[in-house]
Amino acid sequence: MKIRDILTFYDKVLIVFVILISLILLLIPFYYFGAPAEDEELILRVQQGNELIRTVAVADSYQEPIIFEVEGPIGVHVIEVNQGRVRVQEAPADDPLKICEKTGWIDREGPIIVCVPNSLSLWLESTNSDIDGMSW
Amino acid sequence: MKKTKKIVMISLLISLGLVLHLVESFFPLSAVVPGAKLGLANIVSLIAIALFGFPAAFQVVIFRVILGSLLAGTFMTINFYLSFSGGILSFILMYLAYCFFKDYLSLIGISIIGAVAHNTAQITAAYFIIANIGIFYYLPFLILLALPTGFGVGLVSYFTLKHLPYSLIGGNFNDKKSK
Repeated sequence: MKIRDILTFYDKVLIVFVILISLILLLIPFYYFGAPAEDEELILRVQQGNELIRTVAVADSYQEPIIFEVEGPIGVHVIEVNQGRVRVQEAPADDPLKICEKTGWIDREGPIIVCVPNSLSLWLESTNSDIDGMSW
Repeated sequence: MKKTKKIVMISLLISLGLVLHLVESFFPLSAVVPGAKLGLANIVSLIAIALFGFPAAFQVVIFRVILGSLLAGTFMTINFYLSFSGGILSFILMYLAYCFFKDYLSLIGISIIGAVAHNTAQITAAYFIIANIGIFYYLPFLILLALPTGFGVGLVSYFTLKHLPYSLIGGNFNDKKSK
């Protein structure tokens, strides 16, 4: 028996439709964030629930890694900022899936590290150019 | 089908779903895209929908999710709500697709609908918990990954239904369809 005997015409329509939708959704972040600028400075933001609990300038991590802990209902996350990248070094032992740890490093705008049981999210944000102008 | 036989079949499907749920955790797909998984337990839901229709298949899904979370120790935690929302939405959409589009879609198409619905429901539920719109960044990747996994799940359910022995379900699935 061959696959094409099983697959109907509308199956193929559905598959193409799903691919198209996901490609369109894939393009939105590119449109939103744009290409990374040469001199952009990234800021790490740590949010728990609706609250922004910490911001770290990623540029500070080139000298030596910044490691800090965030506590949530199910335990403590160890977060590492190193050489302009961010990861969750250690997820709490009570986290059954440890998705935040498996996400690995993020180093640009767009990807996000989440720990849903702790309602924790970490992402990088590029500093706005006019804020740069102000601070200079 | 006799009532006892039906009960036995349903409990068999639930336990199969639990085992598949366990097997699934051996494949660390979360390292590719956070939150991704094979959805092997969907095989059981699809078979239950095709064989028993709404009430029994609904029982299979509900009990699989509840027992699975009890075994994993995540009952009534956030992980439970996530898999519950995904399981229920994908079941409802698969059931509706099976009822209304059975003549147009094969089990593969129905299983892809289920996989996409599962991912969308989970991401949306997670969005309400962490309150960060950035989580939708992963949705297109999850949907793209849902295509091959949904395809495989649909194929497995198709062949399972085709080759289930006559005696086990009291009638061949393909015979029932042609009537």
